[in-house]
Amino acid sequence: MDYAELTCFSNFTFLTGASHPHELAERATALGYRALAITDECSVAGIPRAWAALRDSPVTLITGSYFVLADAPEAAARPRFFLLAQNRTGYGQLCQLITTGRRQADKGKYHLPVADVEDHALDHCLCLWSPPTADEADLEAALACGRWLQACFPGRCWLAASRTLEAGEAQQLERTHTLAERLSWPVVATGQVHMHARECQPLQDVLTAIRHNTSVEHAGSALFQNGERYLRPQPVLQRLFPAQWLRETLNIAERCCFDPGSLRYEYPSDLVPHGQTPAAYLQHLTAEGERRRFPNGTPLSVQALIHKELALISELHYEHYFLTLHDIVTFARSRDILCQGRGSAANSAVCYCLGITEVDPTQVELLFERFISKDRDEPPDIDVDFEHERREEVIQYIYQRYGRDRAALAATVIRYRPRSAIRDVGKALGFDPALVEQFLNGIDWRDKNTHWRQQILDKNLTRNPRIADQFFTLVGRIMGFPRHLSQHVGGFVISAGPLSELVPVENAAMAERTVIQWDKDDLESLGLMKVDVLALGMLSAIRKALALISQQKGRPFGLPDIEREDPRVYEMLQAGDSIGVFQVESRAQMNMLPRLRPERYYDLVIQVAIVRPGPIQGDMVHPYLKRRARKEPVTYPNDEVRQVLERTLGVPIFQEQAIKLAMVAAGFSAGEADRLRRAMAAWKSDGDLTGFRDKLIQGMLARGHSEDFAERLYKQICGFGGYGFPESHAASFALLVYISAWLKRHHPAAFYCGLLNSQPMGFYSPSQLVQDARRHDVAVLPIEVNHSAWDHTLEGPGPEQKLRLGFRLVRGLSRDAGERLCQHRPDEGYRSATELRQRTGLAQRDLEALAGAGALAPFSDNRHQAYWQLLGHEREAGLLLGEAPEEYRSDTLVTLPEPSEGQSILADYASQGLTLQRHPLALLREQGHLKHCFNAQQLLAAEPGRPVQVAGLVTGRQRPGSAAGVTFVTLEDETGNINVVVWLATAQRQRKPLLTARLLHVKGTIEREGDIIHVMAGKLNDLSHLIENLNVRSRDFQ
Amino acid sequence: MLWLYLHFPHLLLDHLRRAFEEPAAMVVVSGPQPLVAQVCPLAQQQGVQVGMRLKTALTLVPDLAIHPGDTARTEAVLAQQAQWLYRYAAQIVLQPPDGLLLEAGSLRRLYGGVPELWQTLQQALAERRLTAWMATGLTPRAARLVARQGPGTCEQEQERLKARIAALPLAAAELEPRTQERLTRLGLTRLGELFQLPAAELARRLAPETLAYVQRIQGQRPDPQAFWQPPHHFHQQVDLVREAEQAQGLLFPLHPILAELEADLQWRQQDTDSLHLTLSHRDREASQLSLRTAGPEHRAGAFGELIRIRLEQHPLSAPVMALALTVRRFLDRDAPGGTDLLGETPDLREAWYTLVSRLQARLGDGALQRLAPEADHRPERAWSGVSLRPRSAPQAEASQQPLRPLWLLARPQPLQQAPVAWLSEPERIDSGWWDGERVQRDYYIAQLASGQLAWLFRDVRGGWFIHGWFG
Repeated sequence: MDYAELTCFSNFTFLTGASHPHELAERATALGYRALAITDECSVAGIPRAWAALRDSPVTLITGSYFVLADAPEAAARPRFFLLAQNRTGYGQLCQLITTGRRQADKGKYHLPVADVEDHALDHCLCLWSPPTADEADLEAALACGRWLQACFPGRCWLAASRTLEAGEAQQLERTHTLAERLSWPVVATGQVHMHARECQPLQDVLTAIRHNTSVEHAGSALFQNGERYLRPQPVLQRLFPAQWLRETLNIAERCCFDPGSLRYEYPSDLVPHGQTPAAYLQHLTAEGERRRFPNGTPLSVQALIHKELALISELHYEHYFLTLHDIVTFARSRDILCQGRGSAANSAVCYCLGITEVDPTQVELLFERFISKDRDEPPDIDVDFEHERREEVIQYIYQRYGRDRAALAATVIRYRPRSAIRDVGKALGFDPALVEQFLNGIDWRDKNTHWRQQILDKNLTRNPRIADQFFTLVGRIMGFPRHLSQHVGGFVISAGPLSELVPVENAAMAERTVIQWDKDDLESLGLMKVDVLALGMLSAIRKALALISQQKGRPFGLPDIEREDPRVYEMLQAGDSIGVFQVESRAQMNMLPRLRPERYYDLVIQVAIVRPGPIQGDMVHPYLKRRARKEPVTYPNDEVRQVLERTLGVPIFQEQAIKLAMVAAGFSAGEADRLRRAMAAWKSDGDLTGFRDKLIQGMLARGHSEDFAERLYKQICGFGGYGFPESHAASFALLVYISAWLKRHHPAAFYCGLLNSQPMGFYSPSQLVQDARRHDVAVLPIEVNHSAWDHTLEGPGPEQKLRLGFRLVRGLSRDAGERLCQHRPDEGYRSATELRQRTGLAQRDLEALAGAGALAPFSDNRHQAYWQLLGHEREAGLLLGEAPEEYRSDTLVTLPEPSEGQSILADYASQGLTLQRHPLALLREQGHLKHCFNAQQLLAAEPGRPVQVAGLVTGRQRPGSAAGVTFVTLEDETGNINVVVWLATAQRQRKPLLTARLLHVKGTIEREGDIIHVMAGKLNDLSHLIENLNVRSRDFQ
Repeated sequence: MLWLYLHFPHLLLDHLRRAFEEPAAMVVVSGPQPLVAQVCPLAQQQGVQVGMRLKTALTLVPDLAIHPGDTARTEAVLAQQAQWLYRYAAQIVLQPPDGLLLEAGSLRRLYGGVPELWQTLQQALAERRLTAWMATGLTPRAARLVARQGPGTCEQEQERLKARIAALPLAAAELEPRTQERLTRLGLTRLGELFQLPAAELARRLAPETLAYVQRIQGQRPDPQAFWQPPHHFHQQVDLVREAEQAQGLLFPLHPILAELEADLQWRQQDTDSLHLTLSHRDREASQLSLRTAGPEHRAGAFGELIRIRLEQHPLSAPVMALALTVRRFLDRDAPGGTDLLGETPDLREAWYTLVSRLQARLGDGALQRLAPEADHRPERAWSGVSLRPRSAPQAEASQQPLRPLWLLARPQPLQQAPVAWLSEPERIDSGWWDGERVQRDYYIAQLASGQLAWLFRDVRGGWFIHGWFG
C-alpha cells in the first residue's frame, strides 16, 4: 500500500498551519509517503522551502493551493477546493490565478469571485473539491457547485474525502458518496493536514486563537475538535479509508509532475541589441568602460582579471544579470543620481568598468580574488545604493523599462520574534496584557548569557509551573513562524515573460508596490537572481556637496576629481574628528578612530567592519589593535591560515574570514561552510548555530589551535549572525567614508550644507551638525526672508563661503510656501510683512511659522512685536455667533516687551530645533548655575584621574550590547560634546536623573586613553528645571 | 460667588488602595501606546510622571504595578465621590475625569466660614484616604486652573484670588496648543499678561473663542454650570487589586463601603432592610447576592455581620475582582418595616426580581440557574448553568450543535459489560490542554444488553466509560 497526501497547509497559510514546510517534508519522508502536496491558501510561498527539504527525499513534492471563492455560482454553494499543478504550464496557471486573487485585495488577503476562475485558463490543474456540509448547504446547492466545477475542470475533478473523526463525519461521508454517485466523480482520500505531528495541536489551537483575536479558552468552536489533522501513519489511513480512495491519491500524484527545481530564471533579453550575443555585448560594454577608466591603457593585471571574470560570467550565464545592473546604473548616471555597488561580485574589474562600483581594482587587488564562486551554486550578489531621496526614480524606471508584469519586489517574510511571540502566545493563553508587557520590559534582550526565558523565570513573573512550561514551549515553537509577507527593502526580480507565471505577485502595503510570494532565501535556493536597489542618505549628501563645489569652482567637480589617499584626510580621522562622516560618526566609531589610526584606504575597510557585534563578541578588537600598534608580534599557525588572515594581521575581522577559517582551521567542507554561512544569515530569525559549535571547536583543536582561539572564533561567528558585515560591503562603504571625510576636510561649508540638505539621515541632528560646522570655522547665517532659499545655501564667493540656513528648518512651514516665497521675491527683497503677504498670498499659518523662526527680522527688531502685527491681519471668519465685527475693532497701541536672550534661544529651538545665538549652557554658566563645571574644551586639558564636574544637554543615551551594563551618555555644552560613562551600579542607584534628565550635571572622574576622554560618572543631578521649555532631542537607546 | 475645586491627581489609584494596601508603586495607564495617566506618590518619587510612556516608567520602576484606566470606570469613581460630597454641599459639578467643583459661597454661613468648610472637606478626604488638591476661585475656571497646579491653601480674599490667577503660567491655563504657541511667540508667559491686553485686540489677533475663554476665567462672561443630581439609590464599588479567592478577603474592602452606607443612611435619616451585593469575576458572570436584614437597619456593623455570615455559608464560586453594594430600598426611620412605601413602582419585573431574590436568599447562590450551551468541544463543558439574568454573551447556535445525548451523566461511569451493538463510527475529542482538564477520548453510540442507548467513550488510557444516555 502507498499513499500521497494531497491537501496540506504549512505555516505559510499564516496563523493556520502549525508546521514549517521542512517539518512536513521530513515527516512525510519518515512515513514513507509517495508524494506530498503543499497546498497553502492562495499561496505558493511555502514551496521553495518544502522543495529544498525534499530534494534528497524519495517523496515527490506536488505544488498546489487552496481557494475559498468570494461568491458562488447561481443557486450553488460557495466553492472551496484545492488545485494541483500538473506541469510547468499548470504551475504558471496556478500562479496566475493566485496573482489575480491577491491583486484584487488588500495586502495579505485575496478576493476571487467565480467569474475569475471561469476566465482563467486552468486546463493543466487538477481540482479537489471539499464539498459543503449539510449545515452549510443543501444537496441541490452542493450538486450545483459540483456541476460548476465540472464545467471548469472537465475530467479533472475529485471529491476530497476526509476522516478527521469529528462530530458529523458520518453525514458528511454519506453526502460524499451521494455526490460522487450523482456527479460520477472519483473520491480521493485527503488528510486536510495542518501540522506534521499530533503534538502540534496546542500550537494549532494557539494560532487559531491568535487569528480570531481571542484566547484558546474563549475560541470555542473555532478550534478543531481534535488533533487528527496531522500526517498520519499509513496503517491508520488504511483503517480509515476504502482502498480505492487511497489508490486514487497515487493516480493523482502520478499526474502531477511539476518540479520547482525546473524553474529557470528567464532573464530579460531586451537589453541586448539585435544580432549580438549577450556575452559579446557585455564584452563590448566592458571594453568601452575600460577606455573611460584607464585612458592611458589598462594595466596588464587588470586586463587579465577582466578576461578571467568575463569567462566566468559566460560560463555561468550571468551576462543578463550584469547587463541589467549596467542598464540601471547607466540610467541613474544619466539622471545625475549617485550610486555605488557593493557585495562580492560588485568588487570586480568588470563592475568597475561598467560603472557599477568606484572601487578601483588597481588600488586594492586583495579584494578581487573572490568574485563569483563557481563551486557553490550561489548567484552573484550585488547591492546598489542610490541617493535616498531619488531611489524612487530608479524604481519607477525599472517598472517602466520592464513593465509591472515583469518586475516586482522580493518579499520579506516577517516572522515571529521573541517579543511578538511572547505577546501573541500570552494573549492566546489569556494572560493579562499589562502583565505580558511587564514581562517584555523586564527582559534584557541584549543579555545573551542568560536566555530571556530564564530571565522571565528569574523575575518570578509566573508561579504556576504548568502554565509557565506550556507558555515557554509554545513561545519556543512559534518563534520563527511566518506571520505575513512584507516588501524587501529593494530587491527586484525581473523576468523575461510575465512574472506571475513564475511566482505569484501580490499587493504590498504601499500603494503601487507589488511583491512576489518568495523572499531572498527562496530565490537563492531556487537559483533565481534579484537586483538590490537600496537607498543611502550619504550619497544624496555627497552629490549635493559636489554640486556646491562645482558651483563655487565654476566647473563640474565630481568623484573622480577627489584626490585619493590624502594624508590630511587621514590625519583628521585619526583625531576622531568625524561628525557627519559616513559610517564612522557614531560615538563608538569615533572612539575607535584614534586607536586604530587609519592611514590608508584598506584601514578604513577594517575600521568600518571592526566596530560591530562580530569582532567585538569574538574579542578580536584588542588583539588587532595591539598587533597594529606593533605591541604584539604577528604570527600565523600555518600558511593556509596566513592566506586567510594576512591582510588583517592574523586576526579575523570579516565574515568571509570567519567562514574561510572554519574551512582551513577546522576542516569544514565547502558545503558545510556554505551551510554555516546560511545559518549565520538566518540566525536572527530562526537559525541555530549551536550545531556547528562542536564541529568547529573539535576541528580546530585537532589541527593544533588553542581552545581559547576556537571559542573566540565561535563567539565571533555568533556575533556575525544577523549582523554579518562582509568585507565586500565594507570595501564599498570605506570608499564613501573616504569621500565624505575628504569633503569635510577640504570643503567643510559644502559638506555640511549637503548633509543638512539631506536630512533626516545619519547620526546627528541639524543642531549638532551646525555646531560642528561652526567649530570648523564655517560661518552660519540665520534663516532670513530676503536671503534664504528652501534648502540651505552657500553665500559669497570663493573658499570663504558662508552657510545660509534655509526655510526647510522652519517647523510648520510648507515646502510649497517656502518655494513660493523665493519665487516671488523682488530683487531688492520684501520690505514689509504686508508686501510679503500680498506678493505671495502665503497662508497665515506659514507667515506665523516664519515670524516664529525669526525669519522676518528685516521688518522689525522686536520678534514679539513683529508677530503681534502679523496676527493683526484682518480675517473674515471666526467671530462668535451674534457678535458684530465692530466690537473687535480698535487701534489701541500695544507694545510688547523685547525678547530676552533666553526667550530668543527658546524661540529658536521651538521653531527650528537649533539656535545660532549663544548655546543655552553659555547662558546658564553666565548666570552662575554651573559653578565649578568644566566645559568640553577644558576637559581636553584636564589631567586624568582628577575629580571633575560637568553639565550639558543630554543628546544621547546608549547601552551597547558589547559593554555589559554600561550606559554611555553624551552631553552637549557650548564648546563641544562630553562623553559620560555610567556603570551599572551607578545607573541603578540613579535611574531617575539618568533616564529623565534633559540637562544633566555629573560629578565624576576623568579617564583618558590617548585622545579619548571620558567622565566616569559618580553622582548624577537633574538640572532640567533650568531649561523648562527648551526643546532638545536626545537619541536614546537606538 | 466663590467656587471651590477639588482636583484628584490619582483618583483611580486611591480608589484601588481603599480595598488593598499595596506597598508597591502604582500607575494607571491608558491608550493603545500605553501612556501613564495617573501616578501614585511613591512612583512619582522614583521619577514616573504623567504622560510618560509606560516603557520608560517601567525602566524607572521595574516592579511598577500597572492598572488599566478607562473612561467609564474613572467617571463612575468620580461620581462615587460626588455622592458623599453631596452631604457637604448641594451644588456640585462633575468635571471628568478627575475634578469636582463646588459652589462654596452659599456654604459660608452653614459652616461658619470658608476656612471651616475647607477644614471639613480636608478631614472628609483624609478619612477616605483620598488625595485632592483644592483651591478656591472667583470663577469655576479660576478655581480649576489653580487647583490643578498642586496642593493649595484656603484663600477667600478677592484681590489675592485675582493675583493668584494672574500669576498662573500660561502653560497651566489649558489653552489650545495652537493658541498657547502663539502666545509664547508673543513673549507672554503668565495669565496676567494676557488679561492686560485689550480685549478687542485679543479677539481680533487670536480668536474670539480665546477671548471668551479668558473672560470666563476672569468672570467677565457668564459660565453657567450644570449641577449634579444625586441618584435615588446608594451604589458604591470597590475594585480589588488582587483577586480575592476567599470570602474572608472581601470583608476588609467592604468596610469602607458599609461605613459610607451608614453615613448615607444617617444623612438621609432613613434605614434599609435589603442590600444587594454584586461580586464580579474575571471570566464568568457576576454573582448576585441579595440580603435581607431582620428589620430596618442602618449600622455598618450590623450589615457587615450579616454579610459575613452569608459569605461563610456560601463559599465563593470564583475569585472576585470587584464588589459593589447597591441599596434601592429606603425606609423612613419611624415607618413600620417591610412595606413598600418608597422606591420604584413595583411591576411584574420587580415581582419576578423579588421572587428570584427571595428564592436565592433562601436557597443560596447558584441554586437557581438555567441551561445554556457553551462553545467548547469537551462535552462536560459544552453547557453551563447560568444565572437567570439576560445573557449578553453570544450563544452557540443550537442547530450547529453536534449530536449529544440529552442526559449527560455528571460523572462518567465505568462500562460494566460489552455493548450488544455499535451504532456509530468513533468520534474523537481531543481538546482542553490549556486548563489542565484535557480530554482525549473516542466516543461511540452503542446499545447495551439492557436495551439502553448509551454514549460511550474510550479514554486515552484504554478505559471504557458511559457518559450519557440517549432517549
